[in-house]
Amino acid sequence: MELAWSEADAAFRDEVRSFLEEKLTPELRRAGRLATSVYSDHEASMEWQRILHERGWAAPAWPVEYGGCDWTQTQHYIFSRESILAGAPNLSPMGIRMVAHAIVAYGTEEQKSYFLPRILTGEVFFCQGYSEPEAGSDLASLTMAAVDDGDDLIVTGSKIWTTHATEANWMFALVRTSKTGRKQQGITFLLIDMTSPGIEIRPLVMTSGEEVQNQVFFDGVRVPKKNVLGKIDDGWTVAKYLLVFERGGAAAAPALQVMAERIAEAAAEQPGPSGGRLIDDPAFSAKLAEARIRTEVLEILEYRTLAALSAGRNPGPASSMLKILGTELSQTITQLTLEAAGPRGRVYQPHITAPGGPVADYVPPADGYVSGEEWQAVAPLRYFNDRAGSIYAGSNEIQRNILAKAALGL
Amino acid sequence: MDFGLSKEQELLRDSVTKFLAGRYDLAQSRKVATTGEGWQPEVWRAFAEDLGILGATLPEEVGGMGGGPVELMVVSEALGHALVIEPYVDTVVLGGGLLGRAGADRARSVLEAIAAGEAVTAFAATEPTSGYVFHDVSTTARREGDEWVVDGEKTVVTSAPLATHLLVTARTSGERTDTDGISLFLVDFDPANPPAGVEIHSYRTIDDRRASDIVFSGLRLPADSLLGEEGGAWLSVSRGIDEAIAAVSSEAVGLMRKVLADTVEYAKQRQQFGQPIGSFQALQHRMVDMYMEVEQAVSAAYLAVLHLDSDDATRARAVSAAKATISRAARFVGQNAVQLHGGMGMTEELAVGHYFKRLTAIEYEFGTAEQHVARYAQLTKG
Repeated sequence: MELAWSEADAAFRDEVRSFLEEKLTPELRRAGRLATSVYSDHEASMEWQRILHERGWAAPAWPVEYGGCDWTQTQHYIFSRESILAGAPNLSPMGIRMVAHAIVAYGTEEQKSYFLPRILTGEVFFCQGYSEPEAGSDLASLTMAAVDDGDDLIVTGSKIWTTHATEANWMFALVRTSKTGRKQQGITFLLIDMTSPGIEIRPLVMTSGEEVQNQVFFDGVRVPKKNVLGKIDDGWTVAKYLLVFERGGAAAAPALQVMAERIAEAAAEQPGPSGGRLIDDPAFSAKLAEARIRTEVLEILEYRTLAALSAGRNPGPASSMLKILGTELSQTITQLTLEAAGPRGRVYQPHITAPGGPVADYVPPADGYVSGEEWQAVAPLRYFNDRAGSIYAGSNEIQRNILAKAALGL
Repeated sequence: MDFGLSKEQELLRDSVTKFLAGRYDLAQSRKVATTGEGWQPEVWRAFAEDLGILGATLPEEVGGMGGGPVELMVVSEALGHALVIEPYVDTVVLGGGLLGRAGADRARSVLEAIAAGEAVTAFAATEPTSGYVFHDVSTTARREGDEWVVDGEKTVVTSAPLATHLLVTARTSGERTDTDGISLFLVDFDPANPPAGVEIHSYRTIDDRRASDIVFSGLRLPADSLLGEEGGAWLSVSRGIDEAIAAVSSEAVGLMRKVLADTVEYAKQRQQFGQPIGSFQALQHRMVDMYMEVEQAVSAAYLAVLHLDSDDATRARAVSAAKATISRAARFVGQNAVQLHGGMGMTEELAVGHYFKRLTAIEYEFGTAEQHVARYAQLTKG
């Protein structure tokens, strides 16, 4: 066991730093620094992916043969942390961090050779079609129908909470191909070309005012059977494999640590509730310290889990635990940031933030006026958007059910 | 001890509730908030003319009904339940209280205009370096001949973009955080044509109100703009803030009753795993915890309201106890209402998202839970 970094790690950190220093333009840094949710501005995110891809770093967690990096866990951590510190935008998780792993594990040679290189370049941009209006936590009750028609499946129904549906040109979706047997049977994992006729998208306005989520309607959409991932009626197996990556496939701790460090810096400049600086207020500084302690512990917990993953073991229910702990800690931190923002945290001024999508019904001030500082403008939007963390990717209530069963045998 | 309402108070509650149910549409209110002028002046006029609620707590001699803290609570809770964005707290509670205690002729005429629905006041007190510490005042006012000259900066002045008058705290003597040396000024105001020496930047807030940042640079005011004693405004200002806290606490009760009812209803309707999600014990317990937070919030609002006319120390202690409780409840009830609505709770499509944003603003408005716990500790350490 060893926590300290080796000389090689320090050298790697310097290499990452100088790469970021050279490649991150002010516009890209802005998109990273002022992101209002886990979804960065789409254009900036794709531009950054292109630059990372040139260096071979767009998908470090993939197997090396498909374009991944032969990194140690420490190197993955260093790369994440340095990227966040430098203000790099987040890459969209749906392709690189999610469906790609399922394609690697279950895809045909044709699917691998078509999709994987194009996901890396950004030519293929995936959105996720899992939830339906009547199938959320109970995902397996999904009903979007895919009816057999020779070489094709004909898809009719609706998906909801589809992040970046308007930007995506492909969707990975779970569809119902059979109604007999258990509800988990008869589900098929399908890759759908979003330019197919019969698809309509309705954006949803979130409490932050952003249009990042959508409802997508399918009316007799024809999808070739060669776009089934895995076997027909066996999509649940693929989805379960992928959920491990969705829920716990990446380390949240580095980003949370950076967010907490930023609160400490901001609180040194903000007035406290009883006069003096906010950072000197005993109640606030204790809450912040407690959150930072939790990020340090989460970091070790995450790397114990990722070590199991990289050793080829399925981390199993640990991904549910990491999802709960990571999202709830993030909610604590975004709440503390809003508290630190003080009265300015009440101002709605998305024009100086970098939201993940268009903002509805908002006219920015003609003179570009900003009340307070940029981070104070981001704080309330980030707080509202972050409430989704305990809802998406299987609500935290569902994750606790999974843990009760899988970790405790209840 | 009696927690019942009088017949008149019940009538007031029922008439406001009925009016809002028939006339105050959430979608319409959001529309004016986001793309319109920020409020519905015709609704405000109806508050004065049809309902009389703008004068309900103002003295009879200015056209009010002479009601007290309980009337304040009844009206505020009803406004909260309907998520009313019009400037009741800023104008009637803060403006009405500060002007009423000032006693001068100018103040009296503005009070009459408030009761008639013709004046809107905004309280310009928070500053870039004050947080919610209202006696941290860096804005200054100095005499020059017959006039006052005001310099300084106020931030997030809610309702300023709608206001006909500003009530401005400014330091006329003492150090930055002294409670002595703070004076209060009444300023005639037109946000579209600010007077010389006033720069104004207006915006929407996260809870769909309107607010402004205001810079005073050499604003000249006539001598009678000073309300009350020079340097002696703190007692009235701190009382005004406590009254505003009692009002937003009651408003929060109305908001929380509504989101709890909506959440329970949603949990009964929403089916997953072949049954209503309200049948799952984990969610039942969560909703019971929300219910208990609401009941504590109701009690906390009573505590504040029933001590508003007590001596200063008793009032301050009760109000801080109330705000600490309300801030905690607003957070817990708001966050869990969103959580139990799932993705739909994250959207603007249901009422719960809008209510959550107002509850979030109330958590912080006039001081966080921690700030009021600290004030309570200070007042009770003997």
